Amino acid sequence: MVDLPAKIRVEGLGVSYGDKIALKDLSLQIPANQIFGIIGPAQSGKTTFLKAVNRTIDFVSNATVKGRVLMDNQSVLDASSFTPVKKLSNNGMRDLCGYRRRIGMVAPLPVGLPMTIYDNVTFAPRQAGIRKKDELDTLVERCLTQAALWDEVKDRLDTLGTKLSGGQQQRLTIARALSHEPEVLCLDEFSIAIDPVTTMRIEDVLKELKAEMTIILVTNLVQQARRLAKRTAFILNGELVEEDTTKKIFSGNASDSRTNEFVSGIFG
Amino acid sequence: MSTPPTENSMRFAETELVRKKQLSERIAQFAFLMMTLAMVLPLLLIVTYLIYKAMPALSLGFLFDLPSRGMRAGGIWPALLGTIYLVVVSLVIAAPIGVLAAVYLNEYAQDNWFTRIINLAVINLAGVPSIVHALFGLGAFVLFAGIGRSVLAASLTLAVMTLPVIIASTKEALSAVPMSFREACWNMGVSRWKTIRGVVLPNSISGILTGIILQVSRAAGETAPIMFTGAVFYKAVQKGDVFAYGLLDQCMALAMHLFTISTQVPGVDEAIPFATAVVLLGTVLLVNAAAIIMRIILRTRKKW
Ligand SMILES: Nc1ncnc2c1ncn2[C@@H]1O[C@H](COP(=O)(O)OP(=O)(O)OP(=O)(O)O)[C@@H](O)[C@H]1O
Ligand SMILES: [Mg+2]
Repeated sequence: MVDLPAKIRVEGLGVSYGDKIALKDLSLQIPANQIFGIIGPAQSGKTTFLKAVNRTIDFVSNATVKGRVLMDNQSVLDASSFTPVKKLSNNGMRDLCGYRRRIGMVAPLPVGLPMTIYDNVTFAPRQAGIRKKDELDTLVERCLTQAALWDEVKDRLDTLGTKLSGGQQQRLTIARALSHEPEVLCLDEFSIAIDPVTTMRIEDVLKELKAEMTIILVTNLVQQARRLAKRTAFILNGELVEEDTTKKIFSGNASDSRTNEFVSGIFG
Repeated sequence: MSTPPTENSMRFAETELVRKKQLSERIAQFAFLMMTLAMVLPLLLIVTYLIYKAMPALSLGFLFDLPSRGMRAGGIWPALLGTIYLVVVSLVIAAPIGVLAAVYLNEYAQDNWFTRIINLAVINLAGVPSIVHALFGLGAFVLFAGIGRSVLAASLTLAVMTLPVIIASTKEALSAVPMSFREACWNMGVSRWKTIRGVVLPNSISGILTGIILQVSRAAGETAPIMFTGAVFYKAVQKGDVFAYGLLDQCMALAMHLFTISTQVPGVDEAIPFATAVVLLGTVLLVNAAAIIMRIILRTRKKW
């Protein structure tokens, strides 16, 4: 493969909730400025993986974590053995909030926060200290344009985010994820609650965004990964089955037979 | 010549089954309406009866005058003022503690044995009879802490009594805010506290306030907790003086005054106990009305 520098490197990542092991010893590298697909059936640990990467796993009180996650060769999660999230160190980062802002996260179900569209997009930046009105105004326009929502809402930025349609709310969620100028954008099954047309629009947006940021696309629509991702990882029951170029994964002669079965729709 | 019904119109005509269903629907609606009226009617009757009986004594002067002739005539100013003092002071103590405790329990505390014991304690304390709180207040505040029988001791006792309910209702309001809102904020690198301040509290404030204000009526209406800890039968103050009581003074209170004049003092003018009851009821209703208005105002801000 081309030796792009890895944006995110995961080494021996394990996560368990109480006694339930959700991720087992997972290692992979996510190259910068491309779309990285993660596929796998339900309950396989995809969401858990994203939570470990952006360290929101810290909010799940019964989780324990092991392994390392590095962003730009800087350790952001480091535990040699299974450690309760309470006891995880900050790895020299002043606060985890600052780290989390380097990652944008889009959850499966659209969440319009119960405030105006304008406030939805400016909430995080304002909490982080940006106060100037014109700065916020341009930020709102930029993020909503990037999320392909600007034209639909530019005349009613003061309506409530919760009053938008499901597809619009999901794009609002993406705009919000972009509002803190992340270096990595994670999308967790972003299309399960929206219509195919909106999905295609967002997919087009992603293709443009990858020039500016690294994108991790978790999906259980394998064809979506096939359309968008350059490399794809297949996770099954918390284990990384294999990770390769999307072409190889979908070629029908991937290294692991389970991958071939999954992408051809035999199970999952 | 009239056209025979077409097949289409036949299809949408009511069948026997549909008509039966509609009938039972109507009967159910009627029954529910009757139940509702059965709730409202006694209240209306009580209020009407009270006001009718109280009429001869009710006047503005009644509110601001002192009792006279051994509490057989005159007004109720010391008692009204005392109740206001007790309610306000107890709320000033209980509301912040209760809300902060609930925020801690709902937003920060992990699910372990310690939190579970606290939650259990809160629920059980909410069900403790007020006379038990009264004895606790007497022991803890009046005697042990040495505050003596006073507005402060009585308010503290009322605060202890209302605290568990405030905690429980606030927790209820907080947990009604969907978890996904919090997660969305955390994902954007907004800290736990800023998430609470920016999203959770603004969207639960109406429920929180309602819970608090409902405790006002409880604090205003209880006699037992204040009887041993600070309320007295009679205390002379300046007529209409708003600052008549200090925190360490004993005071009169409406509920207790009502109890006294209707059971302990012979020969009270018949209208006076009724008028006192009307004032007590009016105070409570006024506060509840304030709660409802506040709720409506905040409701319009509720956004999902
Ligand atoms: N807070 C939690 N407590 C206990 N178990 C959990 C918790 N969160 C997730 N799990 C379990 O961990 C496993 C992995 O869950 P995860 O959400 O990562 O799967 P997923 O691949 O994202 O599934 P889906 O495609 O359904 O979203 C599942 O078996 C799930 O039940
Ligand atoms: Mg998931």
